[in-house]
Amino acid sequence: MDKMELFSEISEAVKEMEDEDVEDLCEKSLEEGIDPTETIREGLIKGMSLVSELYETGEYFLPEVLTASFALNAGLDILKPHIKQEETGAQVKVVIGVVEGDTHDIGKNLVKIMCESVGFEVYDLGRDVPLDDFVNVAKEKNCDFICMSTLMTTTMGGMRTVIDKLKEQGIRDQFKVIIGGGPISQKFADEIGADGYSVDAAAAVKKMKELKGIA
Amino acid sequence: MDRKAKVSEILNKKHAVHPPCICPGGMMNMITTELLNEGGYSFREAHTNGVLMASLAEYAYQQGCFENVGVPFCMTVEAEQFGAEVELGDNTKEPRVVKYCLESFNDVEKLEGFRLEEGRMKATLDAIKRLREEDLDAPVIGNLTGPISVASSIMDPNLFYVGLNKKSEEAHRLMEIVTRELIRFGQAMIDAGADVIMIADPSGTGEIMGPKYFEEYTVKYLNDLIDGMNTENVVTIVHICGKMTPVLKETNHIKSDVLSFDAIVSLKKIREFMGDRLIMGNVSTYAIEGNTSDNVKRLAQNCIKQGMDIVSPACGLGMGSPLKNVRAVLEGVEQCQV
Repeated sequence: MDKMELFSEISEAVKEMEDEDVEDLCEKSLEEGIDPTETIREGLIKGMSLVSELYETGEYFLPEVLTASFALNAGLDILKPHIKQEETGAQVKVVIGVVEGDTHDIGKNLVKIMCESVGFEVYDLGRDVPLDDFVNVAKEKNCDFICMSTLMTTTMGGMRTVIDKLKEQGIRDQFKVIIGGGPISQKFADEIGADGYSVDAAAAVKKMKELKGIA
Repeated sequence: MDRKAKVSEILNKKHAVHPPCICPGGMMNMITTELLNEGGYSFREAHTNGVLMASLAEYAYQQGCFENVGVPFCMTVEAEQFGAEVELGDNTKEPRVVKYCLESFNDVEKLEGFRLEEGRMKATLDAIKRLREEDLDAPVIGNLTGPISVASSIMDPNLFYVGLNKKSEEAHRLMEIVTRELIRFGQAMIDAGADVIMIADPSGTGEIMGPKYFEEYTVKYLNDLIDGMNTENVVTIVHICGKMTPVLKETNHIKSDVLSFDAIVSLKKIREFMGDRLIMGNVSTYAIEGNTSDNVKRLAQNCIKQGMDIVSPACGLGMGSPLKNVRAVLEGVEQCQV
């Protein structure tokens, strides 16, 4: 099969949330000796960006996006072991989590999926995340972005605390801080000195690309 | 009895000069840090002890917050009974699930039925009985967590939401078991003396589910729950959060007496789909937490002017909301000149 045709079948299978098809097609790409990084970029990630588009236009909702991301991950599990070490260094690294005291993580999970769908490497700290963890993991993994989310007014203050911790350690400039969630606004982001606010998952990725100067 | 007459008789225990103004309980409870501290209550204890739960509900009512009493004050009682681990929080944090009990859909049959005579379920039922015996001039509201919200609190929501799509047979089985048990808890609340059964299902919102799954799961199991209880003499209210605009048509299929909406949804848009159905809502909880009491009053009065049947906060109050602003909702309603 033509390489491009295979890529487009993989994209389509991700979009249609068919995890078994994705697995079969990825196996096939390896058998045919196609570079796995290219299959990831041109097949899996392209498919996931189709999914983001459908989400943005209101045709897909969370269950579809999550199911597609499971299919994407099934493909990645097959391809990743075949990538040569030096090629794995992702260009953009993100640490993400729901701040301490809050367990609402649907929005955070969507942002994570959207980040992965454009090829960012994501360190997901989960929900109810101790504030120090954001700082520590960002330092350890040399992240570009710290993304924080909360749906509750009571836990919003944690975002400010994280930014203050970065300042105290004199490393504020090393990271871009992006925040979001129900009660969060651009005004609040400005108040606490975050680099960006986004209203939803798709906008978050756009914002991050903009801040990194990626088209 | 006609549905409107029933709702009006039950909710307007005190007077019928203005639309009822309530804050039902559960995820939409009226308890704030300031109220707890003023009354000298420990929120943790009130979550577990029926006497204190009833006492706190009554205290909030006596303090001029809304025209009802309602318990419990969280949406973790059901998940905890199924086996999820709950951190009860403190006077500034509401209880939350910290560990799920189902690894996958394969474990569904291991779920045990609710033990209504144990733990916080018993405390909740005891509190309802006590509040009933107090014979207050306010309706007693028993609060249930909706079927989708319970299911996604006992199992990793990522797996759950994917399952709706990929494992629908198993997902429906889980929903049947959860709904069957919720019916038992809800009926026990009615038997204990609840005037109103409020069901909040934030995780089942159309904003998350999309129209297809909203109809297939959220609406179906809310209706099974309502149908499963003997609600002839109680008012049923369903609250769903978030942007419901894409699923207003489907929302109208929910059989509760009253539908409660978030502030994001405009009443005008709701009326387009629901005609003269009884609608409850929707004073912004962000305004209650962060704006002035005068503005909160105005927002409450706007609800009435626009034709809201029951005035309430749009969603769960933030624990940090100033008591003055919480009271301002009812004050605004009482002072409203229509």
